[in-house]
Amino acid sequence: MSSAPSTALPAGEGLVAPAPSFSLAELGDDFRRGIWQENGVFKQMLGLCPALAVTTTAVNGLAMGLATLAVMIASSSSVSLFRNLIPANVRIPAFIVMIATFVTVVDLSMNAFAHELHKTLGLFIPLIVVNCIVLGRADAFASKRPLARAIADSVGVGVGFTLALVALGGVRELLGFGSLFGLSIFGASYPPFLIFVLPPGAFIALGLMLAAANHYGATAAKKVGN
Amino acid sequence: MSRMTLALFTVCVIGAIILALVDRATRAPIAEQQRQEVLRALDSVLPPHTNSADQDSRTVVVGDGSQVVLYLARRGDNVVGTALAVTAPDGYSGDIDIMVGIDRGGRISGVAILSHAETPGLGDKMTTDRDWLPWFRGRSLTDTQWGVKKDGGDVDQFTGATITPRAVVGAIHRALELCASHCRY
Amino acid sequence: MAGELALIAVSAIFVNNFVLARFLGICPFLGVSRKIESAIGMTMAVLFVMTVASVVTWLLERLILVPFDLQYLRTITYILVIASLVQLVEMVVQKTSPVLYQALGIFLPLITTNCAILGVAILVRQKSYGFLETLTFSLAAGVGFGLALVLLAGLRESLALARIPRAFQGNAIVLVSAGILSLAFMGFSGLVRG
Repeated sequence: MSSAPSTALPAGEGLVAPAPSFSLAELGDDFRRGIWQENGVFKQMLGLCPALAVTTTAVNGLAMGLATLAVMIASSSSVSLFRNLIPANVRIPAFIVMIATFVTVVDLSMNAFAHELHKTLGLFIPLIVVNCIVLGRADAFASKRPLARAIADSVGVGVGFTLALVALGGVRELLGFGSLFGLSIFGASYPPFLIFVLPPGAFIALGLMLAAANHYGATAAKKVGN
Repeated sequence: MSRMTLALFTVCVIGAIILALVDRATRAPIAEQQRQEVLRALDSVLPPHTNSADQDSRTVVVGDGSQVVLYLARRGDNVVGTALAVTAPDGYSGDIDIMVGIDRGGRISGVAILSHAETPGLGDKMTTDRDWLPWFRGRSLTDTQWGVKKDGGDVDQFTGATITPRAVVGAIHRALELCASHCRY
Repeated sequence: MAGELALIAVSAIFVNNFVLARFLGICPFLGVSRKIESAIGMTMAVLFVMTVASVVTWLLERLILVPFDLQYLRTITYILVIASLVQLVEMVVQKTSPVLYQALGIFLPLITTNCAILGVAILVRQKSYGFLETLTFSLAAGVGFGLALVLLAGLRESLALARIPRAFQGNAIVLVSAGILSLAFMGFSGLVRG
């Protein structure tokens, strides 16, 4: 097949390029973009299955976010490193295999060293494989960029995802249990708003948070416009 | 074709090698974690003992043909109690796995919930309410009406949930009956 | 046996609905629920791939992964099965039925990353289901997914005609509607065990 971009790997491109084809500012942009502007959960409505399923508490959200972040950094880096060796028409299956490998590594390591968390997150650890954000960033960004930019981007998007999960988990935990990161905030007399830690509450909490973001976004835009 | 196949094949092989190595490194710690989990549950429900109860067990076949593992607690050479895991299949959302410890006299020495999927804030009061599970300690087949108060028994149900306590009480009762016919001292 | 299978089916469709209670397949649930028509198309494609995928992975688990002690390759194997199935279905449908291809074609590539499919395959293993149970569970899971999708599509078709506060326009109102739908489905819990 001749559809591959080039047959020989340009020496050291993206690894130890003598004159880097990117600047530090660019790396900063790659990182920053993922935090809010291209936030998977709030802006693109991707990766919602784990975002809704495990965020009954802020801690669970944090753990799920960090597990996803680890997979993203590993898979985006390897996709970027091998981007010139993988023919375009098999790139998706190849990327999926790479991602599945890293997901299993995270899965096994968590089972061995963070057993309780592994039990809580359960099914949603292996399901990181089909998190559209991971494959999306690998294919749309990392497969066309040098290593450093791929890493900056995956860290930004992963941290953005983690923050979104912590925010959603925090709101649900605060309303549903009256606590935050396990610490009681409203005291024992708070009648917990149970619905928020039950499945319907996940949808409703995210819906309300999106509406709030829309509202403040619109207000801010108006100010800028004036 | 060959380049495509080769690339995909190589990726798969590298992935498999990495995973084989990680699997090798994590297999022992995972097994140890699972063992510790059982051990913690056993230590919390059995009367004070000196052996590792998880390695001191025997399997019996009970009435309906299924197998039950009896974990033995020893102090010195004396067996001081038995623990067994039972499943309440009739929880509000799925199975509730329970470890029940019973002493030589047929009285409950402790109850621990191993896993459940009951509604947070309602059914899961069985684990979050500090007084509910300990209430069972010291009770036996004969001195207690094994049922929730709503069904004419002695056990408190909790606000907003009857199905969960009913299921748990039923399972504990079954554990006592199993032990009555299978525990040997 | 028939009773048990019926329980598995009712549980997967209503009590632990894949989308509304287990949060599997949320992306297509929100992405393809604008019109009832496309919701049905997506459901058909998912139903097919899901059932075949869980049967194939069930076989692979029993015949290869467990006997050769290769459980650590499970995630890779499962996702490869799903990806290849989707490719295969796409090719077969394209060749045999252009009409069907037009109806389903756009949904097929989306299915590989539908976590409901991988989710069913993994759940089947966790529950150590037998063959008939696997078949029932995966069919019912697909039906449950379809039910949630079509119901939400119905709601959204009505919402399109309603006046919605500006902040809630777009995905916010869809999520809140999905929450209310999920609330309605909670009424089914406690109906059957499991």
